[in-house]
Amino acid sequence: MYQYDTLDKEFLADRAAEFREQVVRRLAGEITEDQFKPIRLMNGLYLQLHAYMLRVAIPYGSLNPTQLRVLADIGRTYDKGYGHFTTRQNLQFHWIKLADTPDILDRLAAVDMHAIQTSGNCIRNTTADPYSGATAEEVDDPRVWSEAIRQWSSLHPEFSFLPRKFKIAITGAAKDRTAAKVHDIGLMMRRGRDGVLGFEVIVGGGLGRTPFVGPTIKEFLPANRLVSYLEAILRVFNRHGRRDNKYKARIKILVAALGAEEFGRQVEEEWAKIGPESDLPDTEIARIRGAFAATAFDTLVNRSEVFEAAKAADLGLARFARNNLREHKRAGYTIVEISLKAIGETPGDATSDQMDVVADLAERYGQNDIRVTHEQNLVLPHVKLDDVPALYAALNAAGLATPNVNLITDMIACPGLDYCALANARAIPIAQDIARTFADQDRAELIGELKIKISGCINACGHHHVGHIGILGVDKKGEEFYQLTLGGSGAEDAAVGSMLGPALPADRVAPAIDTLVEVYLRERQGQERFLDTFRRTGVVPFKEAVYADAN
Amino acid sequence: MPTRIKLTDGQFSLVEDPYTHVSDDEDLVRGDLIISLTRFQSEGERLLAEGRSVGVRLEPAEEVEVLAYDLPRIALVAVAFPKFNDGRAYTAARLLRERYGFTGEVRAVGDVLREQAGFMVRVGFDAFEPADGSTPEQWAHTAHRQRHVYQRAADRRAPAFAERE
Amino acid sequence: MKALTGNRLTDGEVVFWKAGAWVERFADAELFESAEAGEAAEAHAKTEQTVIVDPYLIDLIESEGLWAPVSYRERLRALGPTNHLHHGKQAEGGAAIEALQHASGAARSKGRVNLIKR
Repeated sequence: MYQYDTLDKEFLADRAAEFREQVVRRLAGEITEDQFKPIRLMNGLYLQLHAYMLRVAIPYGSLNPTQLRVLADIGRTYDKGYGHFTTRQNLQFHWIKLADTPDILDRLAAVDMHAIQTSGNCIRNTTADPYSGATAEEVDDPRVWSEAIRQWSSLHPEFSFLPRKFKIAITGAAKDRTAAKVHDIGLMMRRGRDGVLGFEVIVGGGLGRTPFVGPTIKEFLPANRLVSYLEAILRVFNRHGRRDNKYKARIKILVAALGAEEFGRQVEEEWAKIGPESDLPDTEIARIRGAFAATAFDTLVNRSEVFEAAKAADLGLARFARNNLREHKRAGYTIVEISLKAIGETPGDATSDQMDVVADLAERYGQNDIRVTHEQNLVLPHVKLDDVPALYAALNAAGLATPNVNLITDMIACPGLDYCALANARAIPIAQDIARTFADQDRAELIGELKIKISGCINACGHHHVGHIGILGVDKKGEEFYQLTLGGSGAEDAAVGSMLGPALPADRVAPAIDTLVEVYLRERQGQERFLDTFRRTGVVPFKEAVYADAN
Repeated sequence: MPTRIKLTDGQFSLVEDPYTHVSDDEDLVRGDLIISLTRFQSEGERLLAEGRSVGVRLEPAEEVEVLAYDLPRIALVAVAFPKFNDGRAYTAARLLRERYGFTGEVRAVGDVLREQAGFMVRVGFDAFEPADGSTPEQWAHTAHRQRHVYQRAADRRAPAFAERE
Repeated sequence: MKALTGNRLTDGEVVFWKAGAWVERFADAELFESAEAGEAAEAHAKTEQTVIVDPYLIDLIESEGLWAPVSYRERLRALGPTNHLHHGKQAEGGAAIEALQHASGAARSKGRVNLIKR
């Protein structure tokens, strides 16, 4: 992992000290709430329904055990013993006191963490493939470039007051686990014909009120020109993005208004003027790359007798292995997903005790490496197959071995009206209802990959537009209703879902999902996923079933 | 005489302001002036011929490129922040310094707050009319807060990657 | 009927106005029968910049003898999140909390009592 040097550490310490002063000024009445609000938001501190919420950045979703233990301890000391992992690979604490935040930021800075730019109209945390450095699918390790962007974008003097927030995702693998195509910028690593490393640059994707799958504005950007090209995109956006209406201020609206071609042309023109002087020197990229190359793997065979024997003896382990393990680039290793979607629990929540367990296990079995996925799970990217039985047992004891990754109960849900000041309806109880409906693991496995994503308002933090089944909470004359969409995807086959029909009351949502699944099981051919069947049959059979049922 | 905070050789101080802001519906006064781009385009030639120092006030929607030809003749560009969070001013200042090599005063006017001192200095502002009553000492404190920066900008500070070499 | 609420500056806690002070329990909140009284309290609260953030009046409705916030959002603020019943004000339990939890419609509506009673 990247190790912060003195410069990085002093940068965080200075920023934390500044916020401490700002909090003192606010509490003393030297600045008003109107003046303070943008200041606290620049440090990820929101005021929500019940308390302050602090969003801690987890750059490219990568944590070491020491950091995770500090997060656990902050949860224990300053919150209610838990934290909530978000769809941008960050962690939110929902019960924070303003007066405690300077101390919390100091605690974070001590382990190279911060809350800088986790809110505000600036460049947010860059997210990356949670399997970076572990999957054989990748062209290059996206963490190298994510770290370069983290540094370049931190307190960027020109781009800290953009028309609207700005999110970048990077994947090095063709299989996209970052939702790159629905980000302001999605970077997909490519290898050029001559072997040169580069990016396909997708700009202007997004969710919210007006969802877009982003168009590609540059098929191949040489990797060493990344920073200058980002600067060109951001500058065009900063100058020309709309500032008169916050719902039309994201870059997707500018790209759609100009057309991808014209937007791309403006970026090229600006990029030519900026020139390569703005790029990071190769030496700096090499320095960052060096920090990620340190993972030491043993030479192993691909089959672990210990693991095979344990699986044969333990159906629970076998089930866990079927659903939560992913292929590692090295023989004898595996990627382990830790689901934070235990049936009936809050999607993405982890207790402080669970975080401590994961930290311990990452030390013992996982090369000190922990990742957060945008689907609100955790990953131990480098585990020996030999160690999986012991790891599984320890996870199971901590309630962390739910074998449902990518299955119907592995849902994304935003905090919704239970916490969020923007929400119109609750999201978590809907997820809990659905999870209970599909608690039978055999049935869940029979259904296969099915991504349900739930948002409590149109801002779409729960990514409902790109759910295979999306659920959007709306407020109808004071009552919570839920609008279903089908056929969305946030992966490499990205698509925005289409509306199924009139919104349903809360208690009808889980039964409707059950009906949709029955239609799928009836209609599916061969190995089709729910999404594939839907794409083949169209909405009609699904719609008929749900609304026939309603009548 | 009114004052503004001026940054010279890394020092912030409160200095007298020889310029008078004249809006489009006001009559011109004697001496050095800051006028809108529109007014500059119609009356700038004459005012410069009179030997006055002229500053141009640039609103966010006005592009610095329009000033390219005149920059060598004008003493000052006042870049406006109608609201503190209108970030276009940062790009304008940076382009004035980096792309056009403008060496006159680049002044932040409007909703100018000390919290943004660091960003403003980095993109090349060297004069400030704070809207929050803040002092040069406070500006110096905020602007020098971060011991390190991560990007190249108009202030020529060495970014972290250069410091590391 | 109205009550005056806001979040306390130092810790974000949901608080309610009661005769010039801020209390944490909805059950202790002052109920304003007249619009003038509520607005006067709100105007005063807005001057308490170092105590309270964004104070505002909320509408209440009578539900089987109990005054409860009309909107579901405000009920959640007065109780706590529905996914963690031991978090927030509801953790204290007691008759007043229970009554509010069971006030008509508290299960899934933002609070139009007549809408959700069915």
